[in-house]
Amino acid sequence: MTPVQLEVFLQTLIAGLLLGGLYALIGLGMTLIMGVMKIINLAHGELMMVAMYIAYWMFVLFHIDPYLSVFIATPVLFLLGAAIQKFLINPMLKVESILPENQVILTVGIGMVLANLATLFFKSDYRSTPVDYATSAFYLSDFWKASPIELSLSLPWAVSFIFAVGITIALWFFLARTDTGKSIRATAQDTDAALLMGVNVKMMRVVTFGIGSGLVGAAGCLFLPIYYLFPSLGGQFTLIAFVITILGGLGSTVGAIIGGLILGVFESMTATYIGMGWAPVGRFVVFVACLIFLPGGVASLLKKKRFGK
Amino acid sequence: MTQESAKVQKSKVKSQKSIPPYPTLIILAILAVLPLTGLSSYMMHIFILVIMWAVIGMAWNLLGGYCGQVSFGHAAYFGVGAYTAGILYSKLGLSPWWGIPLSIIVVALFSFVLGFIVLRLRGPFFALATLASGEVMRVTAENLQPLTGGTLGILVQERTWIVKTWYYYVILAIAAGTFFLVKKLIESKLGYYFVAIREDQDAAESLGINTTLYKTLALCISGVLTGIAGAFYTNYMGYIDPHVAFALHDISIITIMIVMVGGVATFWGPFAGAVIMVLLAEYIRSMPGLGAAHQTLFGILLIVIIIFLPNGIVGDFPKLKRLLGLRSASQ
Amino acid sequence: MKRLSFVILLFFIACLFAVDVFAAENLELSIPLPLTGAQAKFGEMEKKSYEIAAEEINAKGGIKGRKVVLTFEDSQGKPEISRSIVEKLIDVKKQPVIIGEYSSSSSKAVAAVANERKVPYLVVTGADDSITQQNYKYVFRMNPSNAYYATGLVSFLKEVVKPQSIAILYESSDFGTSGADDMAKQAEKIGMKVLVKEKYEKGAVDFKPILTKVKAERPDMIYMVSYVMDASLLMKQIKELRVDAKLFAGGAAGFAIPEFVDNAKDAAEYVVTATLWCTMAKYPGASEFAEKYKKLYGDYPSYHGAEAYSALYITKDVLERAKSMGPEDIREAMKATNIMTAFGPVKFEDKEGYQNQNFMDTLVLQVINGKHHCIWPEKYASKKYIYPIPVWRERK
Repeated sequence: MTPVQLEVFLQTLIAGLLLGGLYALIGLGMTLIMGVMKIINLAHGELMMVAMYIAYWMFVLFHIDPYLSVFIATPVLFLLGAAIQKFLINPMLKVESILPENQVILTVGIGMVLANLATLFFKSDYRSTPVDYATSAFYLSDFWKASPIELSLSLPWAVSFIFAVGITIALWFFLARTDTGKSIRATAQDTDAALLMGVNVKMMRVVTFGIGSGLVGAAGCLFLPIYYLFPSLGGQFTLIAFVITILGGLGSTVGAIIGGLILGVFESMTATYIGMGWAPVGRFVVFVACLIFLPGGVASLLKKKRFGK
Repeated sequence: MTQESAKVQKSKVKSQKSIPPYPTLIILAILAVLPLTGLSSYMMHIFILVIMWAVIGMAWNLLGGYCGQVSFGHAAYFGVGAYTAGILYSKLGLSPWWGIPLSIIVVALFSFVLGFIVLRLRGPFFALATLASGEVMRVTAENLQPLTGGTLGILVQERTWIVKTWYYYVILAIAAGTFFLVKKLIESKLGYYFVAIREDQDAAESLGINTTLYKTLALCISGVLTGIAGAFYTNYMGYIDPHVAFALHDISIITIMIVMVGGVATFWGPFAGAVIMVLLAEYIRSMPGLGAAHQTLFGILLIVIIIFLPNGIVGDFPKLKRLLGLRSASQ
Repeated sequence: MKRLSFVILLFFIACLFAVDVFAAENLELSIPLPLTGAQAKFGEMEKKSYEIAAEEINAKGGIKGRKVVLTFEDSQGKPEISRSIVEKLIDVKKQPVIIGEYSSSSSKAVAAVANERKVPYLVVTGADDSITQQNYKYVFRMNPSNAYYATGLVSFLKEVVKPQSIAILYESSDFGTSGADDMAKQAEKIGMKVLVKEKYEKGAVDFKPILTKVKAERPDMIYMVSYVMDASLLMKQIKELRVDAKLFAGGAAGFAIPEFVDNAKDAAEYVVTATLWCTMAKYPGASEFAEKYKKLYGDYPSYHGAEAYSALYITKDVLERAKSMGPEDIREAMKATNIMTAFGPVKFEDKEGYQNQNFMDTLVLQVINGKHHCIWPEKYASKKYIYPIPVWRERK
């Protein structure tokens, strides 16, 4: 391998891992929601868009850095998500219908309303937060003068990645150590059993949807400095979240992280070595292959236990 | 789930008490004479779209409503049908109308292969896999530039007719054919197998129903019917590109909405849904002042229907009638 | 069931009467534009520009004494809906001339209908070459087609930069694809080697893998056809990876509008882009329009705005010259158009396989000190170009 080829490979790998970390955070919210409620939430990306608008306006009006907005947007999104579950999805689960997939269409409706309201209020302008550090980066040659290859690490991408890791660890602790977290996991594993054990399943659903929304809200804030914002941005991230959820295994935190990283690296490698136009195909091929050959996702390999039948 | 058995009962009653043919024939007759009333070309365009969507809705309903396999990727079949017609025209110089018969073969093969992959999955996983299949087809069409023209799409230089009447009768014939085919299938033994699979696949399997066979059958028929609508679209619109023909939101999701709003597992549901979705969208969109908010209104309408009329306008028609009746009584 | 069919029937009938009929004192023009969805940004800009033009025309007495009243219909950028709108305009509103639409795919749908129904259609923005190559008698296009977008840029390359190799990145839309294909052809004609030609899905988050690949190939110049935010992301990530080239060039669209500089910040410096128009273009009324737009909406318009603004003036000119308001007369008047607009000279010609196509000089902009300046052709230049450009490591 010539130095140039090595440089291309390593730089691609770095890009893939950074992207994967952020993808994982988007996927985490969905994996929780799908794991606990078996609900396909097609409004996931739109919730992220809402959080991004919150972070954007915080930046424009009060000069609050998007990274600090994580602490504002996440609680707001938690409330929004909880409200959606309590006032829209819970009542719908009660009504009798032939197909259980009604709820998917409900989330489509919610997504439509959110995206269109954003267009009405904020116009369809593309926006971004022009932070000073947007293009700052660390370069290998700055640390190691004689380096035969040049690698770079973007500052905002790295910060977003670290934030994502931090949030993931916090979530893992919450699910593993707290009572609420344990109840959520119990609901995910067996709703009826959890009900018998005295878990307030309805409440847990509301909390879970709230946390799921809060997580994707945090992801939105972390994406803002490196990406941009417009009302109809949600769709593509919803799809990415699905892929990660399936890749990682429903309801599995660790699975979502590994799934996100795999997807990030896979997409980057496809872009470099096959062609960027094909990257989305690769994404869905991995997805379908995983559905068929590894229905429990990465989590099933880790735990030898199958979720989400 | 305890509601399950009630549901089985209900749907059985529904399919046993088959609708007498008169209203069907009356509606068909009304639709057949519609172009003779001197409607503007614009109204004809809207009606053509309504009927085209009704066809796609009925096709989806066969697989999703009766057989319980909720597909989020009907754009894949629509697109393959549309591109069959388009490629025949652009590469072989044939009339895109040949696409309609040929798409039956192409889409049937395509659905068979796709079904082999996705039908192993159940419930939400099936839904997600079909959703992915639609997207895969879109990106593939974009990248296979020599065959599909990539994102530049295929433009049919001269459409067959300027007057809409003939397009209208073609799609009406397709719709009538689809309607009677779906009706015959559902009222036959096959229909019972489909419903049995929808209600409980494992139980159906244990009763000796070859679920894989019947699911594949439902998927192929549904796919072919959707593909025919796609081939018609190429002929009618004269232009397709991957974003138009394989649209996730504009085709796959709209199809589900049409059926859900109209009424899942009902014969007239897709038609009612298409009327509502296309006409209402067109109407609200062109209202001054409200135009910009039409997606919001639409979303709200959808949410309301799902929560209060979960079986759609047709499925919950008695309930709807009661609600409306109550209101007029209290006023 | 009977009642249901009755309800459905009622619905149909209600819709027949839904469209109102109005008196013809004012000149009503409905313009289809994408006002929601991903392209809404440009739809909005064009809408505002049409409105400015209408106001000016009305202040000067309207068209043939009739006041222009504009309404806009949202096509969401979907060809199917664009078609619905145009069918309605022709049938119900009896509009004698159609102007508008933004994307190439919607413009194609409108053009096909307009030509079938024999109503003149003025394409304002749709740039795909094929629109005016179909022998459509009734379709006119005021903007140069995609193949001509980069002519100005190519002459700049030939005379100033003289690059040996090129990397082309483009978005996977019909605009991006045809822009990239045309550039590849032109590049080979002037002896440049195309090292990389890659497309990406619009809305991609991370371009670093593909840029790393480009960096390894060391092309003399990088040419990108992208919309706004992809354009700024590309430049930001190019800066981050320190991909050096003699020239970074954009193919109009995203690179030519002020948001590009606002978002890419210092990464946008020295980037050149092909464009059809710029705010300081030396066309009569160009800078006045730009200033007026800036005063009203706080930002300068891009060439899309100028196209829309001028389109209404062309319509005015055509309708005033037309013998009657019949489509046939309007078409004849349209064919004979030869006026100077804020967008540049407009004349519809049949040549090089095109019909009713306006051919005009395209310009080159360069971002200098955080602002777009016109640098090429030299007769239109508002500032001297900066070339060669410094490498990333030495900036700031």
